[in-house]
Amino acid sequence: MKDLIKYIAQALVDHPEQVEVSEVVGEQTSVIELRVAKEDLGKVIGKQGKTAKAMRTILSAASTKVRKRTVLEIIE
Amino acid sequence: MDYIEFEGKTVDEAIRKACEHFDVPREKLSIDILSEGSGGFLGLGSKKARIRASLLTLDLTADLFEHEKRDDSSSTEAVLAVESKEDSIALKAKELLEGLLLRMHVSAEVNVREEKDCIVLDVKGNGEGLLIGKRGQNLDAIQHIVNKALNKQGENKKKIVIDVESYRKRREEALVSLAHRLAQQVKKTKKKITVGNMNAHDRRIIHLTLQGDNSLTTKSRGEGEMRKIVIMPLNTSQNKGEGTKEPPRE
Repeated sequence: MKDLIKYIAQALVDHPEQVEVSEVVGEQTSVIELRVAKEDLGKVIGKQGKTAKAMRTILSAASTKVRKRTVLEIIE
Repeated sequence: MDYIEFEGKTVDEAIRKACEHFDVPREKLSIDILSEGSGGFLGLGSKKARIRASLLTLDLTADLFEHEKRDDSSSTEAVLAVESKEDSIALKAKELLEGLLLRMHVSAEVNVREEKDCIVLDVKGNGEGLLIGKRGQNLDAIQHIVNKALNKQGENKKKIVIDVESYRKRREEALVSLAHRLAQQVKKTKKKITVGNMNAHDRRIIHLTLQGDNSLTTKSRGEGEMRKIVIMPLNTSQNKGEGTKEPPRE
């Protein structure tokens, strides 16, 4: 899951080297924390949060497959 | 002298990228190693190897443009290996999507089809339900991400459409028939009908379908991504007989 978010985020931003992803694994639910360069924050969030929403949608679709829940947090 | 910096897990990888970028063999590049890089663990705490490369012979007229987007070329490893392979947007899109599907643990084949105003990526494989999602929301999400990722330089005007097993076509047909059904109902009852929560693309289909109908009008209402669409009769008393598709009076 971490890989997936990292891949997506790096494709979206101008500074892929500053993309950091960490995962807090829980029994049922995992939390993925995404950090990007300050200038890129808008890129991963998108207009009215559309891009962030799309990432979460993809993430939950991918999580369903392994019967888990994953939450994406974008850290400022 | 124009230098471009490249990154990779190892110096060799960075050099290879440089070669791919300039499309020349190693011997034709002048390379300075900026940092060696270290492995780290699972990509955490790893330092990338950085090199600086330039062409030895200055036959790089076409490369001037490439220098402009050097941020792009030092992009993520996965995307980069892909980008330098082929410049065309369609192929970039294909590789990006394949990488994405791989990380979603969906094994699927992607076919590219270029159409007049859009590039269609057709996905074939297992897990199509997973890729489409409720009302196509997963498919739309993937499409949004791919479009955003490829449009960040603003050089690509063509829209990328992602399709799974002709889902888009099936959806369009369903929406067109829904639109006609609702139109009949509106004409019969002379009352407006509101159909809930559709995305821009779906609403557009409804608007276009009912555009030619003189006896009714369509409007979008509400805010944000999921606006509602309203189908209403158009000044019914004056417009009798005008609507070609108007059902016989009862």
